[in-house]
Amino acid sequence: MREELKARNFEVVTVACESKGTEAALPFVQAAKQQHPSLLDEHHRMPELYNTKNVPAAFWIDEEFRIVRANDPIYAQRRNFQTGEATTNENYLNALRDWVENGPRSIYVQDSAGVRASVGKQTWEDVQAMAHFRLGVHLHQLGHAQEAITQFKKAHALRPNNWNYKRQAWNLGDLEKDYGVKNFMDAMKEPDSQPFYPPLQLPDPPAR
Amino acid sequence: MASQGSKDSPFAATVLYRDRSTAVSISEKREDELWLTMRDLEATTGWEVKPEGVCRESICVPLPVDRQDRFVREIDRSRRLNLAEFARLIEQPYAHDEAHNVWYFGPAGWEWKERLVSQQAPGFTLPDFEGRPHSLADYMGKKIFLLAWASW
Repeated sequence: MREELKARNFEVVTVACESKGTEAALPFVQAAKQQHPSLLDEHHRMPELYNTKNVPAAFWIDEEFRIVRANDPIYAQRRNFQTGEATTNENYLNALRDWVENGPRSIYVQDSAGVRASVGKQTWEDVQAMAHFRLGVHLHQLGHAQEAITQFKKAHALRPNNWNYKRQAWNLGDLEKDYGVKNFMDAMKEPDSQPFYPPLQLPDPPAR
Repeated sequence: MASQGSKDSPFAATVLYRDRSTAVSISEKREDELWLTMRDLEATTGWEVKPEGVCRESICVPLPVDRQDRFVREIDRSRRLNLAEFARLIEQPYAHDEAHNVWYFGPAGWEWKERLVSQQAPGFTLPDFEGRPHSLADYMGKKIFLLAWASW
């Protein structure tokens, strides 16, 4: 996708939110033979700045460095880690192509109200939860796994709908033993944890 | 990262401030109070206590006149600022681990409240998988497809 569009003044930047660091993400990066800037975000800095609460989360940023589409819970293309096989989300990829072609005239571009609605407003609870999460990651990296769990639980209690904080903590520890979560699917359905993903509002392509 | 401030020394603390870790000495452990000497305050946070308030670069935060002693005190013959109280004043989130006396401080209220109020994309600098730093702003002038992902 990037190869197709890069001649059109387009770049892909991916951010791996991985507090385990390189070891967790690198196999995926290598399997995908990524050519674009592929960055590692151990402390979830980008989700903090963009107010995202789960992955994937995609943003379109125009030439003037303005967000013109925000927080799409989607991969344009994903690759099976084992087989290396790529699956493309054609609807989404076509929308992206349309934006690269038509810029602000693309029907997929959001106005400032649309962008704001997609990212939401950061609250005191969001940033408090972030502080507990960050401290948890630091403690985990220092080898204080139990104390890290205490901080992660505080983050989860403050912001039950922040799936980055939950899924990352579960990944660093043990879902059932450390967090009393029987299984992922049940946790997804808990009312105070909703939504798992924000809605994808992609207009229908124009009839041809 | 510094690992000082462990439970072995009750008079040591680790302060994570603007994502930098500094080991400091404190007079005593107290929940919700972190009294830093003027020297530690500046080394850890960049803040300095001046007659007009607590100042860093072009910002000066006046301390509430009626409760100055909750912010600045002389303890063990050193003048100190309670960084936790100051954080509450400037709406800065923080978290504290008592066992190892590690404190994390996030952005001040005037920083996090400004986020995403306009369509301007927040910039950041992160390493690639070889450790080389990249800034999102390096790609300014192009259309950027920015994607957060994870293995979990």
